[in-house]
Amino acid sequence: MSTNEKVNEVSAETTEQDDSAAGPIILFFIFGLVVSLVIGWVVFPKILYSRKQQPVAFNHALHNELVDEGCESCHFFREDGSYSGVPKLAQCIDCHEEIQGESAEEQKFVEEYVAKEREVPWLVYSRQPDCVFFSHAAHVKLAGMDCVTCHGPIGESESLKVYEENRISGYSRDIWGKNIAGFKRNTWDRMKMDDCAECHRKNNVNQNSVQTHKGGCFVCHR
Amino acid sequence: MKIDRRSFLSFVIGGAAGTALSPLPWKLTDDIAIWSQNWPWTPVPQKGEVSYLNSTCTLCPGGCGILVRKVGERVVKLEGMEGHPVNDGGLCTLGLAGTQLLYGPTRVKTPLKKVNGAWRKISWNAAIAEIVEKLSDLRSKGLPHTVACISGSDRGTVPELFNRFLTVYGSPNFMRTSSIQDSYELTLFLTQGVRAMAGFDVANADFILSFGSGLIEGWESPVYMFRAKSTLRENGGRMDQIEPRLSKTAAKSDKWIAISPGTEGALALGLAHVIIKEKLYNKKFVDTYTSGFEAHKKLVIDGYPPDIVSKITGVDTATITALAKDFARARKPLAICGRGKGYIPGSLQEFLAIHTLNALVGNINQTGGIWAVPEPDYISWPEVEMDKIASNGLQQERVDGAGSKAYPYARYLLGRLPEVINSSQDSPIQVLFVTTANPMYAMPDTQAVAKAFEKIPFVVSFSSFLDETAVNADLILPNHVFLERYEDVPAAHGFPKPIIGLARPVIEPLFNTQHSGDVIIQIANELGGPIADAFPWDSYDACLEETLADKWDALVEDGYWSDEVFSAADWSTAFETDSAKFEFTNEDIESLPRYNPLKAKGDEAHYPLVLIPYDSMRLASGHIGSPPFLIKSVEDYILTANDVLVEVNPATANEYGLKDGKYAFLRTPKGNARVKVRVFDGIMPGLVAIPRGLGHTAFGRFLAGKGVHYNALIGPVEDPASGHDAAWGIRAKLSKT
Amino acid sequence: MEKENSKKFGMVIDLDKCTGCGSCMVACMAENNIPFREDETDKLLSVSWMHVYRLTNVKPFPDTEECYLPRPCQHCEGHHGHSPCVSVCPATATDYDMDTGIVSQIYTRCFGCRYCMAACPYHVRQFNWWDPLWPDGMEKSLNPNVSVRMRGVVEKCSFCIHRYQLAKDQAYMEGRREIEEDEYQTACTQACPAGAITFGDLNNPKHAVYQMVKPDKKNGGKPKNPKAFRLLERLGTNAKVYYLSSREWVRRAGDNYLKTEGQAKHA
Repeated sequence: MSTNEKVNEVSAETTEQDDSAAGPIILFFIFGLVVSLVIGWVVFPKILYSRKQQPVAFNHALHNELVDEGCESCHFFREDGSYSGVPKLAQCIDCHEEIQGESAEEQKFVEEYVAKEREVPWLVYSRQPDCVFFSHAAHVKLAGMDCVTCHGPIGESESLKVYEENRISGYSRDIWGKNIAGFKRNTWDRMKMDDCAECHRKNNVNQNSVQTHKGGCFVCHR
Repeated sequence: MKIDRRSFLSFVIGGAAGTALSPLPWKLTDDIAIWSQNWPWTPVPQKGEVSYLNSTCTLCPGGCGILVRKVGERVVKLEGMEGHPVNDGGLCTLGLAGTQLLYGPTRVKTPLKKVNGAWRKISWNAAIAEIVEKLSDLRSKGLPHTVACISGSDRGTVPELFNRFLTVYGSPNFMRTSSIQDSYELTLFLTQGVRAMAGFDVANADFILSFGSGLIEGWESPVYMFRAKSTLRENGGRMDQIEPRLSKTAAKSDKWIAISPGTEGALALGLAHVIIKEKLYNKKFVDTYTSGFEAHKKLVIDGYPPDIVSKITGVDTATITALAKDFARARKPLAICGRGKGYIPGSLQEFLAIHTLNALVGNINQTGGIWAVPEPDYISWPEVEMDKIASNGLQQERVDGAGSKAYPYARYLLGRLPEVINSSQDSPIQVLFVTTANPMYAMPDTQAVAKAFEKIPFVVSFSSFLDETAVNADLILPNHVFLERYEDVPAAHGFPKPIIGLARPVIEPLFNTQHSGDVIIQIANELGGPIADAFPWDSYDACLEETLADKWDALVEDGYWSDEVFSAADWSTAFETDSAKFEFTNEDIESLPRYNPLKAKGDEAHYPLVLIPYDSMRLASGHIGSPPFLIKSVEDYILTANDVLVEVNPATANEYGLKDGKYAFLRTPKGNARVKVRVFDGIMPGLVAIPRGLGHTAFGRFLAGKGVHYNALIGPVEDPASGHDAAWGIRAKLSKT
Repeated sequence: MEKENSKKFGMVIDLDKCTGCGSCMVACMAENNIPFREDETDKLLSVSWMHVYRLTNVKPFPDTEECYLPRPCQHCEGHHGHSPCVSVCPATATDYDMDTGIVSQIYTRCFGCRYCMAACPYHVRQFNWWDPLWPDGMEKSLNPNVSVRMRGVVEKCSFCIHRYQLAKDQAYMEGRREIEEDEYQTACTQACPAGAITFGDLNNPKHAVYQMVKPDKKNGGKPKNPKAFRLLERLGTNAKVYYLSSREWVRRAGDNYLKTEGQAKHA
């Protein structure tokens, strides 16, 4: 075969395809679009988060009924205004020295942790980066906000949901919010800095920055 | 359908569009941004409940009250206790860095035994059994007096337990680390007939005349002196500093009077000359409450007129006269002495000369004066019952010669020990205990000290840290550090009132350490017989609580007990001398060699300069080594990389061709070192100044190997009057490299 | 922009009382998790929020005098909060807070360009050239109220802002909105054994700092007390750290003067 013939052959083929190409090309485009949308919206969130079970399926609703002071009965403020956060074993032992009820989870808790004097490695949904110094006293004591505003109705839950940990950043999915697009319907759906800033701006709290004319940084970071 | 280039591109574009319309890139960017702020190898301190516990700092004899801030079970910071009589909220550099000693890498974590030059871990029982065996053996040979103990203090329950142990075991050789405490105690004893501690009411004085004391550089109780100095200033008081070098104290004084080092006593006598000659002394006090004034008058009038004193000291006559007048005319003048931090006892005659200035102006046991503070008396344990071996042992003369004919007044003469050991065939000490002291670093002429310690067959260190002495010991029985143990702090040096502090455990011991008090009780119990009987307590803590009796509750509650209403004894009852008066001189003082400025060791031809040390608050120079924060705070004109800078006057630098910041060789009769030169206007010509507290060989990589150790360059000079070390410097040569 | 009841935290350091002992430096190190290395003698590389300088009257022996000058961040207000470092930060990592007058430094925002270090006339800013490392076990002494800084960021004195926040939390807990003067004190103020440092609100005439220097609000905060001065006053940084000294050469050492300047009167 001469070189010339070869060239002809190729060009013939191209012309042939050109004629019928418009359809498949759009098909390919749509195919690509759909695949990436599926990956972006469905597969990506599944891969991004690892799912971890809490060590004990704690029943907030049950405990809430038994205590007098609501959330602050266990998640209390200390006298110096600092916030105790997730209760330590010592607090739980006050009631759970022995098994109280018939729940298997409680039995696990008492046998695995109380008896062995091991702290429960709770996974904290609202854990913020180490550079965040959030003042609970300013929000709860001074501003009189409800826990629900930021934490949602976790007090009514009968078990602890799966902890979804971001494989990249290491923080809980609850910080970005369940909605992967970042939309939120309730105030407690997200716990990013923008959400803090939004509320501060709305209420004109600490809008002291010279650089941004918005929130000052030394309010939560230091 | 074939996938060609165009359809592939189409697919990719579709994919890109879809990706852009999905949260993936935006979420990913955000997550990566957050990830980039995670530094997993950077520690994140655990949060927790904050609590404050009161205690007392034992890192120096200052007796400061501290508040220990804990977060959960961690000790996070030490702060000064507000309202504490000594430090009222303030704290010194060393105290503030105390957490670094607790958690630092230089702790001894378990008992260690040296086997063929290497450390081997050993159990507490085995370690104590070994000591007991050695001690029983010596006792059965009738040699109990060959056991000795070096302690940082002789007051308080722990030193007293060691002392009691030696006594009932049969050894007189309990030795306290020497310091100006020795000289002030002797001075008060000889002139006032009292066994007491010197207290200084600096805050209420109106003229402080300091003969080289580092009032704001760690002299006596450092923080108390800082506060008192500020109060003095607020009240419009004046302070003059007599010192060859512009120390920080000199810089912060109203007047710095440069003086030839070692001649301070002569200046004091010269001032006395002017005061007496001009009849400026306190007539009421001198006439009614003193004796020996005429003899003293004759001494200073004949021997120390300003022109002669000027020749000795290098201070001009006008300054001497003016100073004497100002001092005597002040309402509350107070003369103090003891160079720098006061770690060298100094010349007894110098102390007497300076103390008599206070007597001349009648500022003894007065507001704003020097007070005789009674020694703590709360330890009243039953007399020990001694067996024959112990009685025989106790009749032996002390190894250091204290109390002997040659040194009748000294209680302890640790400074003489190295020479005594080095000059004997076999060491007169077979077993040596070392507690809260680091003699192998803190004593002059480190080479001679090392040689002496080498000769002692069995050295037991009770140190919490791997200090120079511990490193060279045969056995280390690590004590808890002060944040892990109970201990009474029986006094605050230089504080004008009796005060007892309580150091208490704020944290469970981190390592396999034991309270030295408990160790001594256990050793005694295992030795059995009368020795065990002398220690009836189950534990040190029980002993302490029983000893402090009715003060215990207050001590636990407040962290200290103080005698608020104390005031020093009235002149009519203050003096327990034969004449019941203050004695300018008496038979005992007359029997001592007369005052003579002590010369620095070394011959002038070979060593044309004189090396003097200085102290700094940023360098711990006692038995504790500076923790990292302290070394970090040291000025770059004192230490650069691992080189120490020695100060010389520009004139001296010129004379010897020395350049600022350049290396030089420093030679003394005792050693030599490579140093850097700092040309400094604030020092007299002919001198070289070097900081204390550097040149450690122990205490780990943050301290060891930095700078040069002053004690390696100097030897002791025995004070002919007391037997204590009175060296203030040594002749030296500084030459270009 | 300054609100009616906004605060202006400032410091007065009495150089007549300061002994140069370094307790402020060490207290700051312990409070603020300052890292340390084996060799800290190169002070350009050494991180220390508080630094005590030595001033001298440059006279020969025996007329030499010295003075010690502790230097925390001066928390310049400049004009309306445009302090030298804030103006140049491209990352909004450092900022001026109109409510407290404190210049902030946010480590996780800082990317280490060090413009602020170049802009600061007081050398208060330091760069973390190394990862902060603590010998095994010593990290237990770290204060959880202050971030541990990572390599590659700039840091500086914060006037112990965390103590302000802790004091506020305590006040909120007790139902108060405002804190008392003594409830918020920096670590250096508290530790100073000579009582040379005073800290408080320069906007509050009841506070000791105000009474000591009497800042002239109309005149850029210049002290009315003749013994008081600020460092490099004439740069217009409007610093919030004031110094007191009874010695004239010390006060003159606080700024740069021409040789002839200020002498004419005496001549």
